[in-house]
Amino acid sequence: MDIEKHDYEQLIAEIAGILRDVLNERAQNAGGMPGFSEGSASPAPRPAAASSKPTPAKFSRSSDPREVIIGVGPAFLAELTATLNGLPHAEVLREIAAGVEEEGMIPRAVKVYKTSDVAFIGKEAAELSGSGVGVGLQSKGTAVIHRKDLYPLTNLELFPQAPLMTLAHYRQIGQNAARYAKGERVKPMKVLNDPMTRASYQVKAALMHNRETALADTRRPAEDFA
Amino acid sequence: MPGSKRFEILRNRPVNKDGFIREWPELGFCAMRSPYDPAPSLTIENGKIVEMDGKRREDFDFIDAFVADYAIRQEQAGESMSAPELGIARMMADINVPRADVVRMVSGCTPAKLARVLDYLNVVEMMMAMQKMRVRRTPSTQAHITNRKDDPAQIAADAAEGALRGFREEETTVGVARYAPLNAVALLIGSQTGRPGVLTQCAVEEATELALGIRGFTTYAETISVYGTERVFVDGDDTPYSKAFLTSAYASRGLKTRFTSGSGSEVLMGCAEQKSMLYLEIRCLMVTKGAGTQGVQNGSVSCVGIPAAVPSGIREILAENLAAACLDLECASSNDQSFTHSDMRRTARTMLQFLPGTDFIFSGYAAEPNYDNMFAGSNFDAEDFDDYNVLQRDMMVDGGLRPVKEEEAVRVRQKAAGAVQAVFRRLGLAEITDEQVEAATYAHGSDDTPERDALADVLGADQMMARGVTGLDVVKALAESGFQDIADSVLQMLKQRITGDYLQTSAILDENFNVISGVNDPNDYQGPGTGYRVGGERWKEIQEIPNLIETD
Repeated sequence: MDIEKHDYEQLIAEIAGILRDVLNERAQNAGGMPGFSEGSASPAPRPAAASSKPTPAKFSRSSDPREVIIGVGPAFLAELTATLNGLPHAEVLREIAAGVEEEGMIPRAVKVYKTSDVAFIGKEAAELSGSGVGVGLQSKGTAVIHRKDLYPLTNLELFPQAPLMTLAHYRQIGQNAARYAKGERVKPMKVLNDPMTRASYQVKAALMHNRETALADTRRPAEDFA
Repeated sequence: MPGSKRFEILRNRPVNKDGFIREWPELGFCAMRSPYDPAPSLTIENGKIVEMDGKRREDFDFIDAFVADYAIRQEQAGESMSAPELGIARMMADINVPRADVVRMVSGCTPAKLARVLDYLNVVEMMMAMQKMRVRRTPSTQAHITNRKDDPAQIAADAAEGALRGFREEETTVGVARYAPLNAVALLIGSQTGRPGVLTQCAVEEATELALGIRGFTTYAETISVYGTERVFVDGDDTPYSKAFLTSAYASRGLKTRFTSGSGSEVLMGCAEQKSMLYLEIRCLMVTKGAGTQGVQNGSVSCVGIPAAVPSGIREILAENLAAACLDLECASSNDQSFTHSDMRRTARTMLQFLPGTDFIFSGYAAEPNYDNMFAGSNFDAEDFDDYNVLQRDMMVDGGLRPVKEEEAVRVRQKAAGAVQAVFRRLGLAEITDEQVEAATYAHGSDDTPERDALADVLGADQMMARGVTGLDVVKALAESGFQDIADSVLQMLKQRITGDYLQTSAILDENFNVISGVNDPNDYQGPGTGYRVGGERWKEIQEIPNLIETD
C-alpha cells in the first residue's frame, strides 16, 4: 500500500502550504500571532477557492423515502480535491451515487459544514435524508453508512482506513446504503485492514483533517452540493 | 551527480517508509514543550482555585474548570507549586524517595507544572521512575482478540490461547459494529477456557459498550475517551462531566473502568490549540483523576503516528505513562498500535515500558496475526510470541507472558471454539459448524477459516439484544451443554461485580479469582533488593522456551 515517497512528500508539502496560507490569513484577520488562536472555533469560511463555483443552493428537505443523502465534509472538492490515497473527489462521489442509483434509489449530495467528524457528517446526512439513511464522507476519504435513529458514534458500516479504499469500494458503499434505505437485510462489506496504514498515512491524515476542521463552522447549515 | 549505492540501500530501509515531520507547534506537532505551553501558576482564594497556569477562572474552558475543581489537592498545592520542577523530577528518579512522597507532591501540581517536571527527565530516568511509580507491584499485560471476519469461533480460540499465554486482560472490537454482542460473548467464554480470571472487554461506541457491560457480557470497560482541548471534546458530543457520569454508570453496576487518552488525538482532530502533546495529555490525565476512575489507557494509543513523527515523540509517550502512574492511576501503557515499518524501531519503542514494567505493558498485544487486528494493527502480534518470550528470558524481565506447548494451545482452542458453538446453539444464534470449530482450532488467522454468514450473524446479534439475553444465560447455556467448568468461571467473573474488590486501582485476578491490586500488592520498589523481582516458579516458567538444545 505504499505510495511513492515522492508523491507523499509533495502532497504533504502542498497541504502544508495550504494550511500556512489559512493560518496566515487568519492571523491577519485576528491581528495576532500566526496559528490557531485559542477559542476561535468558527473561522469565517474562505471565499477564495469557491470563486469559480456556482453559489450552493440552500438545502430543502425531501420526504421521498427513496432518497439517500451523501454528506461530504467542508473541504470536499474545494480546498481539497482528492482522498488520502489520491482518488479524485469527483470520481468518489460519482461512484457512491452510481451505487445508490443501481439499487433504484435516488442519491443526493449535500455539503455538511458544522462538523468535520465522519460520524457526525454521516449522522447529519442520515437525518436530512428522506429515507433516514445517509453516507458520510470526509475529504480524506473516510466513509460511514449511518441511519438517523442510531447514536452518532455508532453506524451501520464504517470504513476507517481510507488509504485502502478503491472506487469499486465506494460504489459498494452506495449500493449498501441504498439497500439499508430499502429496509433490506444487508450483508456488510468485507472489512479491509492493513496494519501499516497508520505508519504510512497518519501524519498526512492529520494535515488533511486540520485543513477540513479549519473550514468547519458550527453555525452553518448543510447545503446542496451539485 | 551519480547516486550513491549506500544511500539507495538506506532509502529503501523499512524505517524510511514511516512518516516524519519537523516540529510545528502552531498545529501541535510538538512532543513535550511548545513555546505556547503556559507557565505553571496557581492562585487559591477562599478554598477555590481562581487562577491556574496563567488563566483566570472566568477564562477557564471546561477542562480547566474540571481539573481545578476536582483534580488538584488544594492542601498540597502550596508545597507542590513552590517546589522547583527539577527537584520534583529528581524525586521521581531517586530510589531513596518512596513512591508515596512523589504521589503526594504531584497531587498538588497543575498540568503545566507536571509537564515541566517531566521534561527534565531523559528516558532512562523515566524508566527508573516508572519502575517505582507504577501502582501494582506485579506487572502484567493485555491482549487484543479480534479478526477480520468477526468469527466467534476464532475469537474464542484466540482468547483461550491468549489466556493460557498469560494475558490478564483481553479486549475485542468489531469489524462490523453490529457484531459487538457476539464478539463480547465469544471472548468471555474463550478467555475463561484458557485460564480463569481473565478480565474482558469489547471496545465499541460508548452506549453499546455500557449495555454489554450491564448485561454481563464484559467485565471491564476501557473505551471512555477523554481529550485535552475543549473543541475535541465538543466534537465528540462530550464533556468531562458526561464522562464522569458514564463512569458512575459503570461503577453502579460494579464494573471496572479505565479511561483512554493519549497524545496526538488533538493534532489529528485539528484542534491542538498550539500546545505540546504532553501538556494536553496531562490535562486528560487530570480529568481522568478528577472523574474518579481508577486508571487510564494512555501512551498515544491509536494516534501514535503523530508523536512518532516528531522529535522526542517516543520519549513523550513514556512521559505520558509516567505521568499517569505519578497521579496514582493504573496505567495500561499502549504499545497497542503499529506505527512503523521498522522491526528495530517498534521493539525499541516497547522496551521503554517492558523494561521497567507497567500495570499493563501492552493495551493490548495482538494475540492474532496483525492482518486480523481490528484496531488497525498492534505493535506486536501473534507472530512475535516467541521473540517476546526470549526477550523476557534474555533480560530476566517479567513481561507478563509465558511459553506454552503446542498441544496445550490446541486443546484450549478446540475446547473454547466448541463451547462457543454450543452456546450459540442454545441461544438460537447463527450455527457454528463443526468445520468452523476445527478450522478455528488449528488456524493462525482468518485466512485459514471458512466464511461466516455475516448477515445471519448480525441479525442474530440484534435478536439476542432484543430478547434481553444476559451473562447468566451464557452461564446456563454452558452448564447445560456440559461445559460446567467454564460455566463456573464465567459465573465467578459475574460475581466480581457484586463483591467489588476488583474496582480497586490496578486490579487483576489470579486463576482462583483472587484480586491482585494496588491495595494488596502495592509497588514498594526502592532500589536494588526491593520491589518486584523475577524469581521462583515464574522465572522457571520464563526460562522454558520450546526451542532449547536438549543435553541428555
